[in-house]
Amino acid sequence: MSEVTQTEITDMLEASGSSECSILLSTVKAVANWSRKNSVWPLPLGLSCCGIEFMATAASRYDMARFGMEVARFSPRQADLLLVAGTLTYKMAQVMTRLYDQMAEPKWVISMGACASSGGMYRSYPVVQGIDEFIPVDFYISGCPPRPDSVLNVLMKLQDKIDRDRSYELTIESPDAPDALKVGEVAVLPGRRHGPPVALATDKERYVRTGPQKRMARGVKPREGR
Amino acid sequence: MERVTESCMVYTDEAPEGVSEAVRNALTPFGVKWSEHPVHGGWPGCLVDRARWAEAFQALKEQAGFDMLVDHTAVDYPERAGERFTVLGLAMNLETQERIMLRTRVPEGESVPTLVHLWKSADWAERETFDMFGIPFEGHPELTRIYMPQDFDGWPLRRDFPMQGHNRFKD
Repeated sequence: MSEVTQTEITDMLEASGSSECSILLSTVKAVANWSRKNSVWPLPLGLSCCGIEFMATAASRYDMARFGMEVARFSPRQADLLLVAGTLTYKMAQVMTRLYDQMAEPKWVISMGACASSGGMYRSYPVVQGIDEFIPVDFYISGCPPRPDSVLNVLMKLQDKIDRDRSYELTIESPDAPDALKVGEVAVLPGRRHGPPVALATDKERYVRTGPQKRMARGVKPREGR
Repeated sequence: MERVTESCMVYTDEAPEGVSEAVRNALTPFGVKWSEHPVHGGWPGCLVDRARWAEAFQALKEQAGFDMLVDHTAVDYPERAGERFTVLGLAMNLETQERIMLRTRVPEGESVPTLVHLWKSADWAERETFDMFGIPFEGHPELTRIYMPQDFDGWPLRRDFPMQGHNRFKD
């Protein structure tokens, strides 16, 4: 957006034929972020008891609707927020990764509860030890399961984060450009996320258990004691 | 009287009390060995030759009226020489409420005859046993993993499977 000078505003007022025409001045950034943060539509991935707490958060006593989040979308195409609530198994991780990939940008991820964040008490072969093995996470909620208050707290933190969002500043390059990304390449997008990269990978690379390998490839050392 | 031990179990040729005449007669041609423990959790148990595993169940079904396969699983005895696994099949006669547990032994890598042609419920049950122990079932229509992802590496209920850390940062 180019700079708007005072002279141009005056010209616009004159062109409109009325000096009393009201003009709301803002930036695209502020308007877009205001709109985004007050209409975060979650895709609840209720995998175990955390899903019940999410339902309590959405129901009238805690009332997530106060933050514009009452529209739980069960289609990833219409959702902004992937709320992983519960124990993720490796078999289900393939589904979760596919759902995440199907969501349109901008998208956010909340890992709700101990199981989604770290595997929780399930330190065994079928359970993913933290969903961040597969997808980038914006917020982790502690608790087993977390109270609805904790979920609301994090949803408000997410609103603050969306308010600081800079993803609209990303430029979209033509696919013909010589340095454009090819399918299968892994790109680090500047701006919004400073965590794990957004992977634009083929099905085979993406859905087979490659989370730990990707972390290793990025030079992330395995956490001690996990 | 010949005795065969299996872990804490002792087998004899004599059927314990409470086993009906129909079951004794049905299983006589198979030379089964009965668990000396009279009633093991309500399930009289006996050991069958692996090659005649499906035939024994067929006799139970056709001659003794056992119309339901209740459960199907296996136990891993890594310390046992030669025949590492014991496969269990639990059948029930819904009319008389009589139950029976058949066992057979199988070395690692060798297969056990399937029961799918007798009970359709054996389909998923045998897939689960295969998924957890890696015991193949000969004649099964589609022997693939049922719980774990298809590309999963390892057999989780074997004793030598690690308690934790299996999927951590492998190649």
